[in-house]
Amino acid sequence: MMQPNLIPAMDPNPLPAPYWVFKLLLIVTFFLHIVAMNFMLGGGVLALTARLRSKKQTNGNRVFFDVARKLPVLLPATITLGIAPLLFVQVLYGQYFYTSSIIVAWPWFLVLVLLTVAYYGFYYASYQSGQYPGKASGVMLSSVILIFLIGFVYSNNLTLSETPSRWGGKYFSNPAGWNLNLSEPTLIPRFLHFMVAAAAMGGLLLVFMALANWKRDTEYARQLLQFGGKAFMYATMAQIVVGIWFLVSLPRDLRMLYMGDNSLATILLLVGVAGGLGAIFLMSDALRKENIRVAAYYVPGMMGVVILSMSVMRDILRDAYLKPYFHPEQFVVKTQWAVFPLFLALFVAGVALWFVMLWRYGMFGRAKMVEKPPASGS
Amino acid sequence: MNYPVWDVAFGAGLLIALVAILHVFVSHFAMGGGLFLVLTERKARRNNDSALLNWLKKHTKFFVLVTVVYGAVSGVGIWFTIGLISPMATSNLIHIYVWGWAIEWVFFFVEITAALLYLYGWDKLEPQLHEWYGWIYFIAAFASLVVINGIITFMLTPGSWIRNQQFWKGFFNPTYFPSLAFRFAIALALAGIYALITASVQKDAGLKARIVRWSALWIVPSLAVLPALGWWYIRRIPRDVWASARGPMPTGTDYAELAAVLLAVTFALALLTLVKPRKMHLAFSLLVALVALGAMGSFEFVREAIRKPYVIQNYLYANSLYSAQIPGDAGFSADEVTAAGILQSAKWINDRNLTRDNQVTVGREVFRVECQSCHTADSYRGIKRYLTLRQWDQAKIQAMLGGLEFMHNGVMPPFAGTDSERGALASYLTTIQPISASAAVAATDGKTVFEQNCGMCHQVNAGNSLFKSLPKDPVAAGEALKDLTTLFPLMPDLKLSDQQRASLVQWVNTQRSAMGTRTATQGGN
Repeated sequence: MMQPNLIPAMDPNPLPAPYWVFKLLLIVTFFLHIVAMNFMLGGGVLALTARLRSKKQTNGNRVFFDVARKLPVLLPATITLGIAPLLFVQVLYGQYFYTSSIIVAWPWFLVLVLLTVAYYGFYYASYQSGQYPGKASGVMLSSVILIFLIGFVYSNNLTLSETPSRWGGKYFSNPAGWNLNLSEPTLIPRFLHFMVAAAAMGGLLLVFMALANWKRDTEYARQLLQFGGKAFMYATMAQIVVGIWFLVSLPRDLRMLYMGDNSLATILLLVGVAGGLGAIFLMSDALRKENIRVAAYYVPGMMGVVILSMSVMRDILRDAYLKPYFHPEQFVVKTQWAVFPLFLALFVAGVALWFVMLWRYGMFGRAKMVEKPPASGS
Repeated sequence: MNYPVWDVAFGAGLLIALVAILHVFVSHFAMGGGLFLVLTERKARRNNDSALLNWLKKHTKFFVLVTVVYGAVSGVGIWFTIGLISPMATSNLIHIYVWGWAIEWVFFFVEITAALLYLYGWDKLEPQLHEWYGWIYFIAAFASLVVINGIITFMLTPGSWIRNQQFWKGFFNPTYFPSLAFRFAIALALAGIYALITASVQKDAGLKARIVRWSALWIVPSLAVLPALGWWYIRRIPRDVWASARGPMPTGTDYAELAAVLLAVTFALALLTLVKPRKMHLAFSLLVALVALGAMGSFEFVREAIRKPYVIQNYLYANSLYSAQIPGDAGFSADEVTAAGILQSAKWINDRNLTRDNQVTVGREVFRVECQSCHTADSYRGIKRYLTLRQWDQAKIQAMLGGLEFMHNGVMPPFAGTDSERGALASYLTTIQPISASAAVAATDGKTVFEQNCGMCHQVNAGNSLFKSLPKDPVAAGEALKDLTTLFPLMPDLKLSDQQRASLVQWVNTQRSAMGTRTATQGGN
């Protein structure tokens, strides 16, 4: 039964900028966070796969180490880019987000512990040297498993935040916060949707590494391209299956949003599916012809569009779930003109400084062709 | 009440304290340590000290592993934790200061990038460029403090924000600058303290001695100015708020004393490193760090403690009720809840019908929504301990709950709720600590009577209303104590026995003469 009276009231402070500003920031920063997460987690998975295949294939251990050295950069990138959507989701959806977090409090809190351990594991693996990873691959495996667990807790919390009708039953049966949202039918496909995406994007990370090595060590670069490109293709094919599963698991009225009821959602879904399929074909062609340009520019470009449209679809889904309770027009807006422009100015300056830092470090000079370096400085 | 309360068996407050104290101990190092890195690099290069430079490379790795990993994750951790434990306060702080947080995020992004490039750039970059990254790191880290300090100090001294709700008025509040200076000094000291750790494992005794002396230069002056900065800080805190740390409130007072003692010990230990700098041992450097952690943790405890009963001073109580009715509070001010009742106001109540039979279970829920953000039954800030000391029966608990806001210099918010809800809470509390059989015979020595019945609100000093106003004549005083509510309408209606009253009056008079003697002695000197 619905218990609408459980939904916490908003606090008395007005929104310090129009609703759409926060919505835009939320979607854009979430997109960046998820891209970084995909590279990090997918990179870890493929490093381990390369290690597993190292007996049959030369250079497996080299791939392992090369990726391992990037993870201590990709993980803080994920965290840092995750802070912003964490902030903006609280601005707009605090009542739902805090409540579901409290209901799954212990798993949610343990994310911090898992993350710390996984992080040190990545550092450990990255600092090992020599020909054989030895213990490093075991440590890396543990870290990757911990990151999967973190993703699983996130899926639990965020699905719960969208289904207030489950709150009362869960909370009152265990106010100590030892809950998950396992009965949610979309939980597993949703979780897998993110994890399989990570494997695909991890493939693109290897393609970027192939690009960086293309002139220096062609043999190795070709191997990276084939391995990464195939991983990308298989994962994206699997993603289409998982995506259909996710769509089918949605309640009918929400599913129909993507099948005609909401034209934006429908178009975005089509863009996502067509983009994914197109990327598979492009990549397959690029692998056959060993065309690094297509693999490292066009495919990632298409995937950027796909992930962005997925991020907007995700937002549409959340608002559809919360439709009975969440009414953005009820926000009182009082823009803080005394500080909002300062944020914008500092944001622009910060991004500019960030590029200058990478540029002076030689990130763009070394491989002139790199448009978007996979292992950028943060 | 508006949000569910996370029932942490060992105490939500303890969890938040652990997360926060370990974080600040690292985050302050992250800032001071940044300046330490660049200045040490410059010094090493100027003196052509390649040994020092090599050590600094390793120290950078240590620095990144501590600050970029643990510091960053635990910083997010504070956010997770306050959202779980004080969602109302977090939501308010997010809405008031989202642009502050967002600006801090920009600095943080720059900071993390610069730290990693500084680390990876050691063997790759020209010295000047390498130092450039170090400077950017430090400036961005300091800028994060500039932002976050405004929000933390706002919680203690919101200043005129309460009236005008203007971002910058709340941000540059009365304690903003002293806190900034105070924390910056701590950060500089911590830079030296952490350097001692990596210095201690150096085999080259000469190098070790150089680093120890250099570190002392960071620690000793910074700690030496800390008391002055602390005094400035305290002066900017409203007098009645700071008073909590001067006796009436055990937590605030104990930690204030502890902070001072541990600060002095850290200072002394830092000086001791200079006695035999060539032989400084890892264990010793860890001891210095541990004592410093204790000092810093105590300081943060004091700041949090004197802020009580508020989480945002004069705005939001620690149990997530607004201290005054404000537009948009959705009925969650203390007065509105008292008028409407908890069972009607709170959202996260399972059983809203209070009957004769469910007093204890409903009382348990009242405890959860109203008290548990700070208290537990018998763990951290456990009620059991207070009740064991005081030996109150249910009627007395119920009476005392009516005056929570007077206890320990007003460290608790008033009980918000109806009389029957207060009764239910009292029935639940009685189950936590049933009165022992031996204590059923009420205590009759004056001191115990005072401690069990008066001491939570009345302090033993000449200025206190009890010692000032109670008639000196034993008979008149005994009569006056018969009905406390006529003495002062807000007193609980306690019924002491004739014998208890007599011994209480006698004890009070003894104390008075002691106070008189003390005053006389002090006057004589």
